[in-house]
Amino acid sequence: MRVRLQRDIEKLNKLVVSLGALVEQRFRMAMKAVECRDADLAGKVIDGDIEIDHKEVDLEEECLKILALHQPVADHLRYIVAVLKLNNDLERIGDLAVNIAERVEAMSQPEHVRSPFDYYTMAQRAGEMLGNSLDALVNRDLDLAYQVCAADDDVDYMKSAMQAQFINEIRKDDIDAEAMTNMFLVSRHLERIADHATNIAEDVIYMITGEIHRHRGADFM
Amino acid sequence: MRKRPRLLWQLYPSHLLMIVLSLAAMGGFSYKALKQVWEDKIVTELRSQALLVARLATGKISPAPAADLDAVVKEIGKNASVRITIVDRSGTVLADSLGDPPRMDSHAVRPEIKRALKGEIADTMRHSFSLNTDMIYVAMPLEQDGGIVGAVRLAQPVSPPARFLRPFWNEIFWAALVIVTYGGLMTLYVSSRISKPLRSIREGATRFAGGDLQYRLDVPSSEEFADLAEAMNAMAAQLNARISTVVEQRNELEGVLSGMVEAVLVVDTNERVLRVNQAAEKLFNIDARKVANRTVHEVIRNTDFHSFVSKTLSAESPVEGEIVILGDPDSYLQAHGVTLRNEAGQCIGGLVVIHDVTRLKNLENIRRDFVANVSHELKTPVTSIKGFLETLREGAFQDPQHAERFLDIIIRHTDRLSAIIEDLLSLSRIERYAEKGGINFEVGAIRSVFDSVSKICAVRAEAKGVSLDFVVDEAVSARMNAPLLEQALVNLVDNAIKFSESGSAVKVSARQSADGISIHVEDQGCGIAKEQLPRIFERFYRVDKGRSRAAGGTGLGLSIVKHIAVVHGGNVTVKSSPGRGSTFTVHLPAIARNANG
Repeated sequence: MRVRLQRDIEKLNKLVVSLGALVEQRFRMAMKAVECRDADLAGKVIDGDIEIDHKEVDLEEECLKILALHQPVADHLRYIVAVLKLNNDLERIGDLAVNIAERVEAMSQPEHVRSPFDYYTMAQRAGEMLGNSLDALVNRDLDLAYQVCAADDDVDYMKSAMQAQFINEIRKDDIDAEAMTNMFLVSRHLERIADHATNIAEDVIYMITGEIHRHRGADFM
Repeated sequence: MRKRPRLLWQLYPSHLLMIVLSLAAMGGFSYKALKQVWEDKIVTELRSQALLVARLATGKISPAPAADLDAVVKEIGKNASVRITIVDRSGTVLADSLGDPPRMDSHAVRPEIKRALKGEIADTMRHSFSLNTDMIYVAMPLEQDGGIVGAVRLAQPVSPPARFLRPFWNEIFWAALVIVTYGGLMTLYVSSRISKPLRSIREGATRFAGGDLQYRLDVPSSEEFADLAEAMNAMAAQLNARISTVVEQRNELEGVLSGMVEAVLVVDTNERVLRVNQAAEKLFNIDARKVANRTVHEVIRNTDFHSFVSKTLSAESPVEGEIVILGDPDSYLQAHGVTLRNEAGQCIGGLVVIHDVTRLKNLENIRRDFVANVSHELKTPVTSIKGFLETLREGAFQDPQHAERFLDIIIRHTDRLSAIIEDLLSLSRIERYAEKGGINFEVGAIRSVFDSVSKICAVRAEAKGVSLDFVVDEAVSARMNAPLLEQALVNLVDNAIKFSESGSAVKVSARQSADGISIHVEDQGCGIAKEQLPRIFERFYRVDKGRSRAAGGTGLGLSIVKHIAVVHGGNVTVKSSPGRGSTFTVHLPAIARNANG
């Protein structure tokens, strides 16, 4: 019986990591589409979302199946609960990548738009957090998970700075309000992605330690 | 020492038992024989004594028993250890050396008496309950006048006096002790002779099992053990040779795999990583020691790769595929996968070999873009020229005003064509001369170059309302080809002017440091996006197609600058921030100490 449980857990593991890799890839594609104003690439991201949705459903069904068949306890139970939760976060990140790609379609104008926003750093950071949270999941690296949680503050700060800059710029005349708004929205999506990556890291912490790390405030770290 | 007691304890008890048994048997037989002799002796003695008593009794029994018979018998028997009994013909006891005849019952049924009364000299041995010992009875008939009138019976206890036998037992005991001790020592010796070589062989076997195949057993003296030891030594030698071969082959394989440029991964049927080589470690940024036995999904998070591995494992024939690793910059990989099969033909895993074709892909892209760009660049003016010429031909040349305008346009386009072709030629000339070494280098002051650049660009700068600043120290000099360097700087300054707003400034400066001279052209224009930066030095590459063509560029300016920098042994770099401006830097190498002109 234990052998079968182990096999099912391994299968679940593969599905989780697979979904994680897919979401990571979509995110990178979306960011690339924004940088290069590549509408085709953006289209691919948008079309590919349905694959992520299907995978999310498969993953959830697999979790429920294991719970029903094997009634796991202790470590295995924590693992499955964590997977159920981070499944949602991954799917949301996929959706946010689609949102970013949609901005590209709105922004693919032939004119070169002067943009005061350098969200490249923010995108780097969000991508890093996503990658690190997945690494923490795969390697059961507690320190890395805590790092991801701490990094969220930086991204929030960047988003606030951009928001202030945006409000500043939009007051000026002779600017392309639509393009600017689209850019700003991208930064908001990035901040949401960072939040979801943090959630994933928190789920990993729960999986390893059994402690629920949410809502503890900045003074915890 | 563990073996010794065991073998010893196996041999010793059995030997001991054997010795004891043989001693016991011998003792038993000796005792039996001795007893027989003793009993015979008693019988013989009793018989002769009986004869004497018979003589004495003659005439005392018949016709009537004498009154003093019993007294006489008692007298005789007093000092002897023998019991004398005289009975008459009917068995009635007439005299007894110990008992009281009238009170004794008839002895007629006693076997020896019975036989004696028949005329036989009989002897028997019986256990006497009254005396609680075995007794030997010898009975002799008493004859008188030719007939049996009675019998005389002598009895004596059988157990020999302890005194007689004690030395016998003593001797046996000491003999037994000596033999047992000797036997023990012999057993010890023999078992050590067996167990010692066995022990050394066992030690040797343990060392072989532990991996020390260089060790050789000493060969014991006895034949069987010698054969065994030699066989084991031979086995060790063979094993050693085989293992060396295997290790050598494995090292060769390792060497081949780590020397390969291509990344190699081996997976098993469960998609777990078995091996990766060095190139794979570098390509995917993984550590070979940490990835052993983890699934492909955990180790390399790339969906293209996952699906490729699945395809490889499920396919009958080798598969090929493309994998893209998104990153900064992207990597394009070409993967070949094949299943590994065992002798029975079953799939036991998969082998994936990956080539990094990013550079090839980039070159392909560049070439494609270049060809497209050149065709486009050349075609556009030609189309215009043709169009206007046709219009003139169809009659517009008769209208002087229009004709003049059209001709101006045609001239402008022709100039443009000429400029493009000139730039292309210039580019290829620089390349060709650089290869052939036909460019002259001299050490000269940078300042003079700056002066000529300033003069050339002044007109355009003023027309756009952009101010030019040239800052350089008199002493700064470099080994250069002045006309080429001038051309490069003119291109850079022109670009700066082109992309700057009216009212801003373009600053050109030169600095000398230990590793060379750097010339900076700084503008405050619209800047260049980060992802475009690597490509701007490509021929015909435009960041923003509409804008720069309208401003009159050929698209070749920066690639000419790059070539000139490379020909000087240096390079050109750019730093830019969209919306804030760009700085182009030409690096020239330092003047070598003993450079000759």
